[in-house]
Amino acid sequence: MNENENNFESLRRLLALKRHETPPPGYFANFSAAVTARIRAGDARRTASVPDRLADELPWLFRLMSAFEAKPAFAGAFASALCLLLLVGIVYAERPSDIEPQPILQATLDTSPLAVATPVNLSSQPAEQTVFLSSTNPVFNSQPAGAWFASQGPTVQPVNFMLPGN
Amino acid sequence: MIMAEPVSSSQPQVSAPVDEDELVRDARQGNLTAYDELVKRYQERIYATLYHMTSNHEDANDLAQESFIKAFQALKSFKGGSSFYTWLYRIAVNKTINFLKQRKNRTHISLNNIDFNAEHDPDLIALISEQTPRRAAGLTELQEKLNEALMKLSESHRLVVVMHDVQGLSHEEIAEAMDCNVGTVRSRLFYARQQLQGFLADYLKPT
Repeated sequence: MNENENNFESLRRLLALKRHETPPPGYFANFSAAVTARIRAGDARRTASVPDRLADELPWLFRLMSAFEAKPAFAGAFASALCLLLLVGIVYAERPSDIEPQPILQATLDTSPLAVATPVNLSSQPAEQTVFLSSTNPVFNSQPAGAWFASQGPTVQPVNFMLPGN
Repeated sequence: MIMAEPVSSSQPQVSAPVDEDELVRDARQGNLTAYDELVKRYQERIYATLYHMTSNHEDANDLAQESFIKAFQALKSFKGGSSFYTWLYRIAVNKTINFLKQRKNRTHISLNNIDFNAEHDPDLIALISEQTPRRAAGLTELQEKLNEALMKLSESHRLVVVMHDVQGLSHEEIAEAMDCNVGTVRSRLFYARQQLQGFLADYLKPT
């Protein structure tokens, strides 16, 4: 390190010039008064910008944002990683399940409307069929969606309001 | 730029406490007279750092005032884990780095005058070219080139050079103020000096 210090001796001398740069005469005489006057005037509240508050309250987030600004490559890598994570999540969510979807009850396939209400004696069912009762298996309805309201037969009728005396 | 306004004389005067902890405690309770005393203690050092970072008197003045105001606002969160000055310094430095990032590529240099003592500084006398007919002109030219070179450095590198080589802070103090380790400070200092040496090669005498 000493050798390095010697190498920079000339530079160090030049930097000494900075110490001789001084503000206008009398500047510091009024500085503290200006600060306290601004505090009194409530200027303090206005100066607290969002980035400043972030830096105070969430220093880790502030450092992350600073790293993004300083290194665009880092920001790009971070964004790519997020996109990749999102993509993996979507692919994983849409992946077909290994287990074939099966009806919740064998009876739902029955055409008889009373079959659903028929109580099932679970203890008498073989183990193979008990799996169908799992509530996590998807429920499939063999009926088309339009058939759900077919029995109710909704109709539209125009309504005419007649005021009394007309 | 908001310049000074006299402090209202209606502010109750406290007996001037010397102890910094006491001043901080009073200021935390809203005593502006105590805070005024704290500002007076550190205004020159804070201003100097910000001035050397921005190379602009007006910007340094605004940033220094805002740093002190922000510190007053945040006094309740000051736990006393470090000295008040280090804590204040960190606020000022973070504020300045944010400011410099926002105004990137819009550098406007507004330099302070060089005081008379500079002409008698042996370090500087040795550096001024012998061909320079007027010493003052040589210093002004050096000042401009030096500030231009400093502004070419990144904020973190400039800050390390300013704190160490201009203000004379130790590596440990810089590390604490910048919230990094001493090794980082040393490497940044070395890199910054190398860069400066390249920028200012024409003005440096070979050692």
